[in-house]
Amino acid sequence: MRVLLVEDEPDLQRVIWTCLQEEGYVVDTAGDGEEGLYKATNWDYDAVVLDVMLPKLDGWQVLSRFRKLKSTPVLLLTARDSLQDRVKGLDSGADDYVVKPFQLEELLARLRALIRRAAGQSTPSIEVGDTNIDTVSRTVTRAGTMIPLTAMEYSLVELLALHKGKLVTRSMIYDKLYDEDDDTLSNLVDVHVSNIRRKLGHEFITTRRGQGYMING
Amino acid sequence: MVRSLRWRLQIWHALLLTTVLIIFGGVVYALQWETRLQQTDAELDRVAAVLNSRVRGLFPVPRTPINWPPRTGWPGPRPDYADALAPANVTPARDPGGNRDGRSRGGGPRDGTREGTRDGAREGARDPSARETPRENTEDRTRESRDSFARNPWFAPPPGLTLPEETQHLFDGGDERSFYFIIWDRSGAILEKSKSVEEIPFPDLHAKDGLPERQIRTRDDRRELIQVSRFDTNLLVGRSIKPDLAAVHRAGMLLTLTGLGVLVIGLAGGWWFSSRAIRPITEMSAIAESISVKNLSKRINVDTTATELEQLASVLNRTFDRLQSAFERQGEFTADASHELRTPLSVILSHAELALARPRSPEDYQKALQACRRASLRMKSLIDALLSLARFDSGKFEMVRQPVELDRIAHEATEMLQPLAHEKSVQLTCQGQPVTVSADHDRLFQLLTNLLSNAIRYNRPDGTVTIDVSQNADQAIVRVTDTGVGISSEDLPRIFDRFYRVDKARSQVEGGCGLGLAICHTIVEAHEGTITARSELNVGTTIEVQIPVGSVAKPSKPSEGSHSELAMAR
Repeated sequence: MRVLLVEDEPDLQRVIWTCLQEEGYVVDTAGDGEEGLYKATNWDYDAVVLDVMLPKLDGWQVLSRFRKLKSTPVLLLTARDSLQDRVKGLDSGADDYVVKPFQLEELLARLRALIRRAAGQSTPSIEVGDTNIDTVSRTVTRAGTMIPLTAMEYSLVELLALHKGKLVTRSMIYDKLYDEDDDTLSNLVDVHVSNIRRKLGHEFITTRRGQGYMING
Repeated sequence: MVRSLRWRLQIWHALLLTTVLIIFGGVVYALQWETRLQQTDAELDRVAAVLNSRVRGLFPVPRTPINWPPRTGWPGPRPDYADALAPANVTPARDPGGNRDGRSRGGGPRDGTREGTRDGAREGARDPSARETPRENTEDRTRESRDSFARNPWFAPPPGLTLPEETQHLFDGGDERSFYFIIWDRSGAILEKSKSVEEIPFPDLHAKDGLPERQIRTRDDRRELIQVSRFDTNLLVGRSIKPDLAAVHRAGMLLTLTGLGVLVIGLAGGWWFSSRAIRPITEMSAIAESISVKNLSKRINVDTTATELEQLASVLNRTFDRLQSAFERQGEFTADASHELRTPLSVILSHAELALARPRSPEDYQKALQACRRASLRMKSLIDALLSLARFDSGKFEMVRQPVELDRIAHEATEMLQPLAHEKSVQLTCQGQPVTVSADHDRLFQLLTNLLSNAIRYNRPDGTVTIDVSQNADQAIVRVTDTGVGISSEDLPRIFDRFYRVDKARSQVEGGCGLGLAICHTIVEAHEGTITARSELNVGTTIEVQIPVGSVAKPSKPSEGSHSELAMAR
């Protein structure tokens, strides 16, 4: 999952970044409104965490411009908790609203819910045949037994499962699973796929040669 | 409260009205009674006059002629005068009823002594007959005397009192208004009386010094006029005043009823008036009551309020306006303050949460703690600023006013901020003339450091900041000029507002919490000065502070104006 974090307070930016990173998200950061808008419009993110009080362009301006181009879920992060502020935030196109000071757990839960809803999934677990992918605990179970997966393997499984029945291209995988500073070799994806196949069976992931991968629903 | 005021008004109104009515009614009643009595007295006087004129015939007349002073045209004594008077007997007749024995006995000697001093001639004339006549024959003598009156043409009427026909009905008419009279002599013998007199109320009244006495008295329900004449014939004319009393009582009843009616109407009117007067007040208080913190925008409708209350209503409305704006300011201020506190708080919270989520390396903990420390410091500076503002607002802050060398403070502030200026590669200079003002040293230092650090922070790299101290008449002037980004004209009027930021994002610079200029403004106001800002976008901003010099002794030593020297001296 690839997430954009637009936050100007360096300490807060770093802590959220670390937290999301540890939860297996790929996180890009932006320090002001203009940079945030640029990144959000030029990459495909699964979600954007957007602070409202930003230098150059404030969160509402970013949101209203961004909404004309994309429908990526946006989670607003703000210290303003009055009713008018919340209404304004949601009306200008935000999908959810977290008020400072927040707890990281809540931020993560809301982010998961946003991504899930955006993928057309309403429950936190995804069923693929007899395989169950729990997006909250980030675990995969097959016929009741838990399959141990690395963070990257799980992220790949979750990405494919969220787009179950659809083709997921290699570039999409790079976009979602690696951040902008990552210069991982491309064949690493193949390694991860073969590891997953070893653990979940070869037929779990279908390869479309030269195009990408998919999980059949 | 309103109700009780109304009742109180009503009670006072009732008391006042009742008092007025009672006084008025009492006066009218007394006047009426007085008038009635006067009328009765006048009637009694008239009747007495009539009786007097008739009654003179009863007088015992001196036997010897009085030596009248000679008078022209006086015909002299009548020839039959002596004859006519001869039988006249002055021996007092005994009261036939004998009920006034004591009085007559007591009266006798007094009369005698008086007589002696008063009318010697008469005394002399009477004495012989008194000697001649035995006391047992008194009644006969009286009759005789009357008979002789009857025979005497000069002293008509005949024995007994004859009143004119037209006045007869006045006496013994049988109704309550008829008169009665008694005529008696000095010894208490009744000479005449009207029929209706049952008891004979002799007054204890005597002619003094020969002058007739006249007395009017009220006995039970009778009004009586008593005349004691020197001719020894006393007259009492009386009349029952029962009809008068009844009439006056009727009038009194009428007055009371009218008074009650007036009272009722007055109270009802008072109630109505007080309702009318109180209604706008009630409405106003109802509206004022309904104005709460959640609903401050409601106002009293001045148009529907009575004229006298318009002022009160508009005063209240203005108070509500002030209250509303104060509440709004307070609300904004609280929202801003909490907003400013939320960001560092969320930094602390998130770092702590993340650090505690799983075991971490010592470096991670260190980083987390450092971030927490930074956030805490930021909160501390914000709270300090809030507290100093609150202290200014509440008036608890005590200014220590003393002569302060403003140029020196400017120099100290410049010195202190040189490192920051260096870090931002801004050139910071201080210039000006020595100025001494009466002010609080610490506050002025805070003011200048705030202004300077703002000018440095919002400057461009390689920009300049100049602080210039001068004096114009009795105003000390400090100008802080920077070459920063400037402030747009729409932001300019609001830069001294609390938490107002030209750049809406929270400041990255430590200590920048949006209160700096607000604190400056408060400090300058506390010194009765003014603070103004001029700015041009992308050229720079000049903030000018004017503070009245106040009563300070001029520095005796003429300064060379060199601040480096001052700095060195320190």
